[in-house]
Amino acid sequence: MFLSTKEGLALALPAAIFSFLLFLVPVGILLSEAFKSDVGWTISGYTEFFSKPLNRTVFFRTLKLGVLVAGTSAIIGYAAAFCIVNLPPKSRGRIFGLVILPLMISPVARTYAWIVILGRTGIVNDTIVGLGLSDTPIRLLFTETAVFLGLLQLFMPLMIISLVSAMENIPRDVIPAARVLGASWFQVFFRVILPLTKEGLVIGGTLVFTGALTAYITPAILGGSKVLMLETLLYQKVNVSNDFVSASVIAMILIVMSFSANLLLKRIATARV
Amino acid sequence: MKKTLPIIALAGALAAHTAAAQDKLTISVYSFAQDAYKELLYEPFQELCGCELVIETGNSIERMAKIEANAADPVIDLAVISSHDALSLARKGLLSPLDTSRISSFDKLYPAAQDPLGDNMGVGYTFYATSIVYRSDLVDIKSWGDLLGPDLAGNVSLPNIVGTQGPLALMMLDKSMGGSGDFSNVISKIGENADNIVTFYSRSSELAQLMNQEEVIAAPLGRFAWSRFKSSPLPFAWAEPEEGQAGGMNVMIMTKGNGNEELAYQLMDYWLSTEVQTRIAEARIDSPSNSEVVVSAEIADDLTYGADLINSLNIISPADIIDNRDAWVEQWNTEVIK
Repeated sequence: MFLSTKEGLALALPAAIFSFLLFLVPVGILLSEAFKSDVGWTISGYTEFFSKPLNRTVFFRTLKLGVLVAGTSAIIGYAAAFCIVNLPPKSRGRIFGLVILPLMISPVARTYAWIVILGRTGIVNDTIVGLGLSDTPIRLLFTETAVFLGLLQLFMPLMIISLVSAMENIPRDVIPAARVLGASWFQVFFRVILPLTKEGLVIGGTLVFTGALTAYITPAILGGSKVLMLETLLYQKVNVSNDFVSASVIAMILIVMSFSANLLLKRIATARV
Repeated sequence: MKKTLPIIALAGALAAHTAAAQDKLTISVYSFAQDAYKELLYEPFQELCGCELVIETGNSIERMAKIEANAADPVIDLAVISSHDALSLARKGLLSPLDTSRISSFDKLYPAAQDPLGDNMGVGYTFYATSIVYRSDLVDIKSWGDLLGPDLAGNVSLPNIVGTQGPLALMMLDKSMGGSGDFSNVISKIGENADNIVTFYSRSSELAQLMNQEEVIAAPLGRFAWSRFKSSPLPFAWAEPEEGQAGGMNVMIMTKGNGNEELAYQLMDYWLSTEVQTRIAEARIDSPSNSEVVVSAEIADDLTYGADLINSLNIISPADIIDNRDAWVEQWNTEVIK
């Protein structure tokens, strides 16, 4: 069934109007606050934001954790996805279900579980003290490590799902052929698997990186005010300082970071390997 | 006749609507203990005045923003808020000075509650003490300075500076360091010890969780949240440091030009009466600002109660908080949060 251009537009119009009026217009108005001042349009909100050492620290910490979470998810995700696609169909469904299972649990519950695990009386500290690695429990909560672990657990399933989907489309005889022709597993990964799954990597990488940048609950609970991220700083600006200009600047920075990450990953994916 | 009936009905409906509009009072309150307030204050008042109370809740910033955004045509008639947030609204010209002769219990209020903002811009309805809650089986607190001492390193939490408890803790820590009155030294000292502080908490519920999980063994706390700790199986104690306890107050304010002053004064009068303040105190909701309230020793133990205690509190002036908060936050962000 083929639609004429008019019919296609007519069908798309309700969704387009909905998105325009209820998403693009309010977000546009909100973000434009970041460029307004008493004397007209300005970028002083941005220069002022980056002139403060705390804001720069928070920006680079957010970027660093986003990259680390996306990178670690990709490394672990490739191994997990390769394993899943090579399982018998029955086991594959079960294991894939286990990967998806955390996505069905509230991020609040998942994050609070980390408080129990990483706390002074939690399983990690019990093990460390029990093995004699430290005389006293070590501080794990309210550190960048805690936020990293929380975000990794939260978003890694998205990377695995994307990579499994991409790997399922690799022709079954390509990898054995590469091996028969003498390629090492290292060469198989970088010359065969990676080029054929780069679309999945771009999608997974964008989802994980954007998710890590914009997550609020996990950094708020596991990092607190000592490990501020852009999203928790944004919340403070709105709900504590009533500073909507800085909040708009942060929102714009997050949007630019997300789009930039997507563009960069696409550029890498389309480059010749 | 056919035309007359709908007109009469419409006129009747309009008259009823006008009467209803005149008898509605909109108040802005903290979200805290609303079920108890409904039973102890709102419903009895509605019966008394034959009017409708519309309750709006939210955090201070949201509620202040709403008052400011609707300054030309106020949608809030009366609000209860911290004294420094109230002063901030008063300085923006959003509040109406109170005619204290219309509050029959005014003379019964503790002196500190009668005009905490100046120019009768508000009246205190509750006090709270702030001291240190600690694990009595693990540590003994004698001074506010103990919070930054070696014995508690890695086991202490402080309130975030942007919250109500933040400036109170700074004031008492400054006092333990000699009391310069200028908080820059104490903020620097906290910055030097930042790695020894577990976290800077924002809500008392967050602190309760951390202390019950044994992440933190001592922290400053408002007395209004003490019951959360008192009922815990862990041995928590309320410190009486040598520098004394800090204190704060929440106030009632009236928005400027709301046109509903008569009902607002009625509610203020009722809320501050000995009868209602006693009822709210007995439910352990708010500590009374009415000096004639009498409660049992057991209930008093959960409250900030009695002239001796209230007069001994170290209270920071709302003007000092408003005038210095931006500088404190700036220094805090540079030296403590980093």
